[in-house]
This record gives sequence, C-alpha cells and structure tokens, in this order.
Amino acid sequence: MRLRFAAGLTAAVLIILCGARGAWAHGEAADEPFLKDLTVAFFNVHISPTVIKVGDPVTITGSLKILETWPYTLDPPATAYITPVVPGPVFVLADRTVNGEPDMGSIFVEKGGVYNFNMVMRGRNPGRWHVHPGIAIQGTGTLIGPGEWVTVEPSATPFRFDVSLLDGQKVNLEHYGGAFVWWWSLAGFIIGVIWMLYWTVPKRTVTRLAVTIQLPINDDAPDIGLITPRDHFWMSVLAGITVAMMVGGWVYMAAKFPVRLPQQTDRFEPVSAAPGVNLATVRGTGATYDEKTSTLILNTQIKNISDMPLTLTEYSMAMTTFVNGDAAAIAQAGPADYTGKLDVEPNTPIAPGETRAVKLTMSGDVFNDERLIPLHDPQQLIAGLVHFQGERRKYDLVTVKSVLIPTEFQPQYLP
Amino acid sequence: MASTPSALTMSAAERQRRLELRDLLNAKYKYIDRTWDVVFWVTAIFIVAGAADITKLLFAGDWDFWTDWKDAQWWPVITAFATIIIPSALQWIQWVAWRFPTGATYTCVCLFLASWIGRYFQWHVAETYPLNFVWPISTVPAAIILDWLLMKTRSFVLTSLIGGATWAFMVWAFNYIPLAPFLQPAVFMHHVMTVSDVQGIGYIRSQTPEYMRHIERGALRSFLGETQYVSLVFGGTMAVIGYWIGQFIGRYLAVWPIGRFIKTI
Repeated sequence: MRLRFAAGLTAAVLIILCGARGAWAHGEAADEPFLKDLTVAFFNVHISPTVIKVGDPVTITGSLKILETWPYTLDPPATAYITPVVPGPVFVLADRTVNGEPDMGSIFVEKGGVYNFNMVMRGRNPGRWHVHPGIAIQGTGTLIGPGEWVTVEPSATPFRFDVSLLDGQKVNLEHYGGAFVWWWSLAGFIIGVIWMLYWTVPKRTVTRLAVTIQLPINDDAPDIGLITPRDHFWMSVLAGITVAMMVGGWVYMAAKFPVRLPQQTDRFEPVSAAPGVNLATVRGTGATYDEKTSTLILNTQIKNISDMPLTLTEYSMAMTTFVNGDAAAIAQAGPADYTGKLDVEPNTPIAPGETRAVKLTMSGDVFNDERLIPLHDPQQLIAGLVHFQGERRKYDLVTVKSVLIPTEFQPQYLP
Repeated sequence: MASTPSALTMSAAERQRRLELRDLLNAKYKYIDRTWDVVFWVTAIFIVAGAADITKLLFAGDWDFWTDWKDAQWWPVITAFATIIIPSALQWIQWVAWRFPTGATYTCVCLFLASWIGRYFQWHVAETYPLNFVWPISTVPAAIILDWLLMKTRSFVLTSLIGGATWAFMVWAFNYIPLAPFLQPAVFMHHVMTVSDVQGIGYIRSQTPEYMRHIERGALRSFLGETQYVSLVFGGTMAVIGYWIGQFIGRYLAVWPIGRFIKTI
C-alpha cells in the first residue's frame, strides 16, 4: 500500500514537473482591464539592441500619457517612478531621463501629462529576458508598457558596476563592502556561539528545570549552582569583548569613512511633453469586442477644431498601438507583439470644422493574452489615445473613452 | 529586586532544602538527560529562527532587505522594535525553566543563521542580487548585552528598561559600522547620492519603486540635524514596548498551553 502510494505520488510530481511551462510574464495579465486601459497609454516604445553581451547597453525609449480617464476607484496620480520591468537584477540601470531631465528617483505627475523616457540598462546576467518599460504610480502599482525579448550573451570579462565616489575612488558595486559586512557580522556571531556553548554544553536542562520550579523567579541560586560567580565572570568577559569590538569597529569606521551622507530622496516635476492644445475632440460612441476573432471595434465622433486637415494615424490603448498604415509603419510603432493594423472608416483626412463618425477596427491576440478587454467586469469601459497628424503639427494625442459591449457573454458556471 | 537568601538569614530547614536542590541539580540520569538536551537545542533552532525571522520580516522587512532603506530616521526605530520581541519571549522561557541567561542570544544566533541562509540562497543565488545590497543586520551583540543584563539584574523590569534602550542602540551601532561604506557620497545620474542609493536604482526592483521607501526625507532636521539621536531615543522606547510584547508571548502564548497540557495528564 505504502509502495503504491509513493509510486503514485512520484508519478504525479513528475507529470506536474514535466507539464509545467516556464513563466515569463510579469503578472500584468492578472491586473483588471480597467487598471490598464483607463490609466496610462504607452506609445512609440523601442527597446534595442535585442542581442547584447554581458556589460553592453540596452536602451528603452518611448512615451506614455497619464490619461484624463483615470478611474475614480484609484487615488489620483501624483507620485510615480518610471522603471524598466525585468525579471530581477538581470540588468542594471545605468541612466534615465524623463522629458530630457536626469531622473534618479520618483517624479511628480499629473493627469493628462505626457512623459518621454529614455533608460539605459547594461546586461548583467546571461539569458533571454523579457524587457518592458513601466510606470509605478503611488496608490496604483506598476503599469507595464510593451515588451521585447532581449538576449544577453556571456562575456569573457565578469560584469562590473563601477561607480565614482566623490573622493575620486572608483568602486565596483558587485562586491564593494560585502566582505566587511560578512566578516564583521560573523565576528559578532562567533561571540554569541561561544556564549551559547558555555551554557548548553556543560549545563543540563532536565535537572535544572527540576530545581528552578522550586525557586522564586529572581533567585539565581549560586549556592545551589544554577548561576555561579564563575559564570558571572566569563559572561562579563564576553560582554566586555562585545562592547570592545563595537568601540573598535566604531573607531575604525569613523576614521575610514569620516563623511557619510543620508540617503537621497530628490524628486522633481517634469514639464509635460503634451503636444499642445488639441486639434480635435473625440467622443466614444460605443465599442464592441468579438472574443472569437479578437476584434475590437471602436465607434467615435470626431470633430476637427483646428484650421488644417487631420489624418487619424494611430490608436494606443494600454501597452498596444494600432497603426493606420503599411507594414513598415506598423513595425516602427513598437515591439511586434504589441502592435497591429488599424482600419479606419472612412479613411480620409478630416477637414477643418468637420464632424465625422469614424469607425476604428483592430484585431490581435494581445487583447486576450494581456487581458485588455473588460468581458465581465464592474467597469465595462475602455480608453485610449487617438493620434492625429496635420500638415503643421507632427502629432496630436486625444484621449477617448467608451463603453464596451462584448458581442456575446461567455457562459459562466462558477461565480 | 529579590535575591538569593544569604546563609545567615536562612533557616536550617531552608538550608537543608537548598542542599537537596543542589544534589538534584547534579543528579545523573542515564539516558534522557543529554539526549533531551541535544534534541531540544537542535530542533528548537528551526522553530526559534522561523519565529524570529517572520517577526522581523513582518515588521521590518524592507528595512532589513536593502541598504538604501537603512536610514537615519526609520531604520533604528522599526528594527529595534521588530527584533526584540522573540528574544524577549525566549529570555523568559529559558530563564524561568533553566536559569539560563541565553534566550536572547540563542534567538539571535538562530536568526543570524536563518537570515544569512535566506539571503544567500533566495536573494543572491536565486534572485542574483549582490549580497552587499541585501545583507541582513546582526542582533547577536545586542542579545549578548540583553542576556548579560538579565543575569546581572535578575529582573525583567530592569532588563526591559535598561535593556530596551541598550538594544536599540546596540542594534543600530553594530550594524551602522558595516553600513558606513554604503553611505559614501557618489555621483550617479548627475546627482550626488549615497552608494546605497545607487544600488537601489541600479539593481532593478520593478515592484519596489523608490517612492515606497520609508526613509528620512528631512522632517526631523529641525532637531539641529541630529535625526539619528532622536530616532534612537524613540527606538529605545519602542524596544521597551517590544520587549513586553515578547514577555506576553513568552509568559502566556508559548508556555501557558504546555502547562495546561501537563496538568491535564
């Protein structure tokens, strides 16, 4: 019986292990669709090169807009941190700018703000890693942009993360200070081990318990032998060594590192890179999603309020961008898994002052893979950015929000 | 503070009883005695290390994980409180049961092993963070002094009052020494910052953005810039509170059920 149970258990474990696939995502599909669609739209993201050696740079560039449709269920966006999203420290971040300014930490943001980012990482661990840009917003969490696979090949020289100290010394953060931390901590630990061995090796617990239960709690009974003057002497010696070690360590530290700075928490408010006054207004008049064909149709009412004809060029939603153009234009819009073709009907420039009903159609596995469409949610809404181009304006970004109705609701047998 | 009765004040009966206790203390048992000792001290390592590590991570996790969280304002307060609770509980148990001034040291030696094993295998080997960024603090020296104080005073009240403040100071002072290299000013991304800041930015933590750091932002600078000392005093107070939370655990939650069980059988 036991043998059969063990064999069955082993077989079950093997089946599970053999059938398990690697997990490469960052958990973004677990986020509710409204958390991705109504909050931030990423666009024009590029991650290159995609094959490097350990120590070589990878650059992430792109833009994001914090949408005016920010959900009322979340705290308003105020403090944020633009970051690469990678599986742990397989890269190190070497440089980062937001709207052209060096960005060492968190930034202050606002609804409607557009932020162009540039992050330079250096490959640290060999492997094939999925790399995204992301923006963590206080009270909301990290919202992820489109990603790209980057292969880091081994290098003949080990990775170094060199940093210049103010005194001119250059240190490698891969190891700096680590040996001192270990040996210093170990020295304190050894005194503790000696303390424990002193009490536990020669002294027994069973007979002491029989004695202590017959004595008041603050009676250490030197006459009986529970804690003797010899014990006091040696424990005081160990305590003295501990204090002496600390004093010595402090003198060493003060002499070797006389200048010590508090951790820095600088923040700044980048000037929004929004292209200016909008050239058009866009109103969502309803959207549908067909789960069988992964097709999203967004009906809009667009009014050109500028004095030049406008062409609708792209639609960006969360980490995706759909392009009204040819294959080359789609390839230039961002990582291939997050871009696609946008069909615009009617696909002619909108004249100044004209109001027109425009239907946007787009398809892609990314809708299901990243769970971007609210199919059974308390907020059946989507939002995104409509990109326009005019003869005197390179681009304009207009936020649109719409109710979404799936073409059919899937049967649901469990709550 | 009570003490051992002196030979002059003891009655003959009391003297006789204490002589019998002395014989009992030195009684030889054939099997259970040393076997029990080994079984207890070794198996308890896992339970005590787990309890101490969980308590530390629950209250002071990030302050212990990263060098860029080990600041002047919050680290001395939170860590002192979080790390004294289980040592205090063990101090009660081991003092009451065996008159061993070892509860805090035993806990912190176990915690040291658990913390370093965890950091090495989980954080360094599996997650590949450099150990110099994720090293755990050591509380062993503070525990030695706490146990020494209990042995000298034989009073949990005095140990809590003197030992709580001493604990906060010792934990901070002992670990500030190896932290000093990471507080060196460096230039990175056109800013002056500490080496620990550079570690926090460079070694990417996608789900721990910078704004999540609960560290000094300048609010206590009105105390002539001596944030550290204000925090240490407050940390000492918090450690006294933590000590009595540990006493509650030791006196009631840990030992009381065992006593009930023994009485039942």
